Amino acid sequence: MAYSNKVLDHYNNPRNVGSMDKNDPDVGTGMVGAPECGDVMKLQVKVNPATGIIEDAKFKTFGCGSAIASSSLATEMLKGRTVDEALSIKNTEIVNELALPPVKIHCSVLAEDAIKAAITDYKEKSASRTNATVA
Amino acid sequence: MTQAPPREYFEFFGLAPALSLDAADLQKRFYELSRKWHPDRFSARPPEEQQIALDATATLNDAYRTLRDPVRRAEYVLTRNGFPIGEQRTKDVPPELLEEVFELNMALEELRSGDSGVRPQLESAREHFLSLRAAVDGELEELFRSHDSGGGETVLSAIRGVLNRRRYIENLVREVEKALGARATA
Repeated sequence: MAYSNKVLDHYNNPRNVGSMDKNDPDVGTGMVGAPECGDVMKLQVKVNPATGIIEDAKFKTFGCGSAIASSSLATEMLKGRTVDEALSIKNTEIVNELALPPVKIHCSVLAEDAIKAAITDYKEKSASRTNATVA
Repeated sequence: MTQAPPREYFEFFGLAPALSLDAADLQKRFYELSRKWHPDRFSARPPEEQQIALDATATLNDAYRTLRDPVRRAEYVLTRNGFPIGEQRTKDVPPELLEEVFELNMALEELRSGDSGVRPQLESAREHFLSLRAAVDGELEELFRSHDSGGGETVLSAIRGVLNRRRYIENLVREVEKALGARATA
């Protein structure tokens, strides 16, 4: 098996597995999937609304070792960043960090998509909350 | 001089590119073509012709393996018509499907971590996944007929969607069977 040590580490000791209340207004949830392998990945961020900083991140992935490692690493990268910094995370950073082979690059793309989906969900929630306060 | 046969699978079998096809007829054609292209029949021919027969046999086997299986057949037709599976992104998977698959996976995971007492639940989960798969296969059959009567791009993209769904369900079936198998040997 050609998994790198870093993939194996994240696969055997995944960081931040779990879930948060998706109805919490400070939580953004991203659910994405890769039909070519049947993977499904849920990634959540909890944002401090005053600072815009991601204070916690959780994930749960059903898929191959690289998909689990990619999402585990993504949650580690997210903590402490602002939501806008989070949006600039590229899948290539995950590829490099985990030394993913070409056939597994789509797993890192899935993790990037999950980050974007979670941040977008948070932003939509906070926008509708602002509108509600105004109205 | 022997001419190389078409590389396109349907053409090789002398069939129209229809998604619904008669399995018995396909098998008959496969046997006939296998005899026709059998390398033994070319052993006294020039090397170029022997090579053609060898290539034809390889293509024929790939073609038969692809065409006799409804899912592979549909994947083949979709890829040839510009709906390959590889280049899709998340946006092509409906969120309800992801939610459903996620929940099913969560339930399955919980059962897998349970003791031998959960076997009946695992079995009923398997029944559930198999019935989901049967429903998807029924949908596919219907879409195949629409395709063959000139459905066009709309039908092809609907088939793409159903095949994506099927892949997720297939994974669940495999996982639940793995869980049941592990319990059987324990």
